[in-house]
Formats: sequence, structure tokens, C-alpha cells
Amino acid sequence: MKIIPQIETPAGENYINFEENLSKLIEGIKYTSKKFGLNGPGEAIESYPVVIEQNFGINALLLCNDLKNRHNNLNIIYAFNMRDKNRVAILSDLITLKQLGLKDIIISEGLHPLKTVFYAAKPVYDIDVLGLSSIIKTGFPLLKDNEYVNNFSLFNLGVVVGVSTQVDFLKIKKLSKIGVDSFVINYFGDNLDINIINYIKAEKKPVFIFVNESNVKSTLEEFIKKNLELNVDGVIIKISNEKSNIFTQD
Amino acid sequence: MFLTEKKDAKEIDEALNKYKRIGIVGCASCASVCLTGGSKEVKEMEKHLLNAGKEVPFTISIDEPCDKRVLKEDIRFVEDELADTEAILVLSCGTGVQTIGEYTGKKVVTGVDSRYIAQTEHIGEYNALCGGCDECRLNFTGGVCTITLCPKGLLNGPCEGHNGINCEVAEESKCVFMKSYENMSKFFEEENLDRIFSPRDYSRTIKRKI
Repeated sequence: MKIIPQIETPAGENYINFEENLSKLIEGIKYTSKKFGLNGPGEAIESYPVVIEQNFGINALLLCNDLKNRHNNLNIIYAFNMRDKNRVAILSDLITLKQLGLKDIIISEGLHPLKTVFYAAKPVYDIDVLGLSSIIKTGFPLLKDNEYVNNFSLFNLGVVVGVSTQVDFLKIKKLSKIGVDSFVINYFGDNLDINIINYIKAEKKPVFIFVNESNVKSTLEEFIKKNLELNVDGVIIKISNEKSNIFTQD
Repeated sequence: MFLTEKKDAKEIDEALNKYKRIGIVGCASCASVCLTGGSKEVKEMEKHLLNAGKEVPFTISIDEPCDKRVLKEDIRFVEDELADTEAILVLSCGTGVQTIGEYTGKKVVTGVDSRYIAQTEHIGEYNALCGGCDECRLNFTGGVCTITLCPKGLLNGPCEGHNGINCEVAEESKCVFMKSYENMSKFFEEENLDRIFSPRDYSRTIKRKI
């Protein structure tokens, strides 16, 4: 199991400062991983997965490119949602990612604007994760006269899902059938249905737990232990502030 | 029914500021049910305008001001007064306001906010069940419109944000996909459980003149 940080692009800082903080963060993850005997980062940050979130738009794509150029083997994963952009803008981002040579992506429906500081913003959700997964994995016709979009099948696609109910299970089955490569479970506490997790594993798809660091109610230690019992492939922890975070606090 | 809500009187007063002689048209259909444009509300608005020093040459409640055929018939009753009117305050949804504006050629001001197509639970309690999205998928969703009832308008299953039972946004409500699933199971529509809907076709939305 790996501990993977997910970071929102810094709004007001330059990339050099961001990378310094990222290195410190990776050091914290290295320490925590060692403590639990996990497969942690090596000496340098290279080859370790880091998820960069889409917030602040093009800045996130530029950051992904910058990190990729500076750290040849760093495994950059770009995470984005369906909330803010219509299908045209999303496909445009996919073309940019493809051109930059970034192939690992995680998609989610996204937190509703009402639950954010932009509470009055238009909730776009023009296309949902199943629709986008269909486009990426099966070339679902989306353009006029049923023309197909560019071939995006090179993407290694992870989808954020819930795993609590039968309707989650149905959605996961559909996503799996389409050919989604991995699943990221949105963590809320103890309401995970282990049968759904076992189904994903039986389908031989990697499964990760996603949690915002502020939602880790117990200590980090207890949280890691709990997820080790679930036998998942990794825990993605969203870092709210890369300067002060759950790994560098203690 | 199309749900409307009363506008703040200050906004109406500002919109009518330049005009002295103002006619009032109410809607005896939807706006009447919502208590925003029935005969009582028309009377209240008349009183308000008179107190503000305006003249009100006529008031009328039209059965369906959004229906040009009905409007043509009913507006004849105030034909003479209309000729002498500078502006018309309309207490109906946006369709009624624009229909009256187009037909009379007069300045129209709306006295209500247009909300949504509504189911009436009780007077004063309404639910949005249909968003009029051009391509009805109720035959495949257990008779539940997820586009309207899911705050994210999703088509193909729940978002990752529900906590196992309740909606991420409307926290007091169950996730609508659970209701959809229950209905599909109840009516033995298993074939719909695996269905993947293509994204909504918005080209239909801009071709709304039949």
C-alpha cells in the first residue's frame, strides 16, 4: 500500500516554493511509510506518485508539466472533476494532457458549488464520469453526425466513486465494463461496503481510498491501520496546505 | 404548473419609476395557484401603486396570459384603457410577461420571479420534478428524473459525495438514484440498470420553436 498526496495547485506561490514544500511533504510521507512498513518514496521524489488537482485551471496543467520536466520520473497524476467545465473544455484539457505526455488521470463528479466558497456558481456537470469514461475508453460518439473524438485510449483512467450502496455498485460495474483502469473510493468513515471493494479487486483493478486530510477523524496512525486492513493499493490524502499538513505536523 | 414568487416591491417600484399610468394583468392559472398573480394579488398591487401616486387605468386577470389565443380574447375587455396606458405590470411567469409585451407592444414589467415547473404538495409547498430538458428519460429511470432531482443533474448513477444514504447537497434527502433503483427493481426493469446514457443533447434546447 502506498500513501499518495493529492495537492491543489498553489494560487499565489511560485513553482520553486511549491516544489520545496512538496519535497518536505514527501519526506513526511517517507517517514510515515517507513513507520508502517509501507512501500514509500525512495531517496528522491522521482518515481513516486503525486496527484495534482485541477483547481486554478491552467495553472495546474502548467505545474504538472513543470514537475514532469524537472523530475523526469515523477509519476504525475492529474485529478479533475465534471463540475466546472463543459465537454468542450474537458476534451480540450485532455488534448493538452496528451500533448504534454501526461497519461495518468483521476476523474470525479466533483463537490457541488453550494458546498464551496463559490456557492452561487453555475454547476456545470455537462457530462458525467460515466459519459467521459465512455469517451476515453470506447470512443463514444460525441460530435455532430456521430463522429468520434480523438483517440484518448492511452489514458490510464481512475474514477472516484462511493462504495456504500447498491447504486454505487451498479455504477462501478458499468465503469468496470467500460474499461476504467482503477477506482478511488471517497472515504466517509465506516460505511464502506466490503463486497464492492472485493468486486473491484476481483476485476483486477487497483483500488485506492481518497480522503481529505481534514476528514481523518482519528489519528493518522489509526487511519493507516484501518486501511491496511482493507488491503487497498493505496491511500490518497488530499493535502489542504503543503506547508502545514498531516505528515509534517508531528 | 409553473412556480412564481413575488418580487420585492422596491424592484417593481424602480422598474415603474418612469411611468405614471400603469395597467395590471394577473394570471388566473399558475400564478393564481402560487398566490403571486391571482385576483387578490392584483388588488394588492393596485393598492400599492395607488398609494405610490400612480394611476391604474385597468386591472384584469387572464386565464392563461401565456396563451396568445386566450390573451387576444380577454384583453379586448380593457382595449380602451390599454390604449391610454404607459406600462403594464404583469403578475405571471416570464412567458406570460413576454407574450403580453409582444402582443400589446407596451412596456411590460414583471412583478414576480419565475422559478420552475412545479408539483403542488399544498399551497405554499412545491416540488421541482421536471426540468423540461427536451429528451425525457423517465421510461428508463424508474419514473424518476435524476436530471431534475439530483442537484448535479447526473444521468448515470450517484456521485461520490453521498454518505451512503443522503444526498451531498440536499442533506435531508435520500440520493435520488436510490429511489430510481428501487423503482426499477419494483417494476422488474433490470434491463435499465445497466443502461449508460449519452450526455444531454443541448442542440435541441436552442431549437425550441415547434
